[in-house]
Amino acid sequence: MLDRAAVGRTTPPTLNEVERGAIRRFAEALGDYNPIYFDAEYARASGFSNVAAPPSFPISFAAGSDLRELVGVPARNLLLGEVSFEYERAIVAGDRLLVTSRVAEISDRPGPAGRVEVAVIEDEGRDEEGQMVFRARRSYVVRLTRES
Amino acid sequence: MPPRKLYFENVRVGDELPAMAKSPIDRVQLARYAAATNDYNPLNIDELQAKAIGMPSVVSPSTLGLGFLGQLVTDWARGGQVKKASARFTRMLWPGDTLVCKGRVSDRWGEGGKYHVELDVWAENQKGELVVRGNVTLKVFYSFEDETRFRTGQPPLIVNVPRESILVAPPRPPSPAGKVSASKGKVSAKDSRKPAKKPAKPAKAPKAKAKKPAKAAKPAKRKK
Repeated sequence: MLDRAAVGRTTPPTLNEVERGAIRRFAEALGDYNPIYFDAEYARASGFSNVAAPPSFPISFAAGSDLRELVGVPARNLLLGEVSFEYERAIVAGDRLLVTSRVAEISDRPGPAGRVEVAVIEDEGRDEEGQMVFRARRSYVVRLTRES
Repeated sequence: MPPRKLYFENVRVGDELPAMAKSPIDRVQLARYAAATNDYNPLNIDELQAKAIGMPSVVSPSTLGLGFLGQLVTDWARGGQVKKASARFTRMLWPGDTLVCKGRVSDRWGEGGKYHVELDVWAENQKGELVVRGNVTLKVFYSFEDETRFRTGQPPLIVNVPRESILVAPPRPPSPAGKVSASKGKVSAKDSRKPAKKPAKPAKAPKAKAKKPAKAAKPAKRKK
């Protein structure tokens, strides 16, 4: 069961340093060898201020506490249904981002196999001057298990 | 070699992105992705634990498919900046799955010297089943001249281009679903080529599955 009292629960800002090696490993794990992720000069010629991070890179950011602490259900029981990102600017190597996550919504809705519980988490990342860099929104569905 | 660029003036609504076939997902990739995302959910990497809770094998994080769509878009956009990206996961991803990523231009507009291109993107597995679909908004330069102005500190080239989807879509009531139906109407109205049935597929699959939570959540997101 999701913790109904979790709505509004917010993690303290957690510093995420965007390292070039982390970008490289992320792109390699995807099998994506676009030089903008590996070659700073090429990235600059493409309009980025440094090696760029792939669009889904914020998935790798730590937000100070895990999902279980946030919504009361272990991660293995949560299925990601939807995700969205908004970027004020591209994330590049060398960025130092303060990331916070907030439980935006907990609800249950009728599903094909009975009611399903949904948790929506919103993240935001700001630079050290407080400027917004990205926002994300993740919707999870609680996976039915034998215990539940 | 200097990178080639994607310019607004060369993009048309209905343009298709070249389909991108990925290698089959394997367990080594899942291990690398777990490390790269610092997410060691045992269901993605530990076969024994996955089977213990009744799954046939480890399962791939759905966000891996999102990463593939990111690759599709970034390869095509060539220097265009991703401003927004959203995705809905419609089917689990498994080791052995071979995804093909596809996309098409669903809209474009220019206002006040800023130029945006909107894409519908999706990925299908080896059975042709939709596994993830999404929308991406890119910011691009209008043309080489516009980019040169930017680089030399001059004001941007201003060409006002209304959202093309408005021009071709039939009027709809302003419901949250309005934009969705508008984009559907637009594609079929605009594009008489065979792929017209492809956008229908991503749109149809979630309906067929009748996943209420996802369905209810989508319009809220699209409205933003």
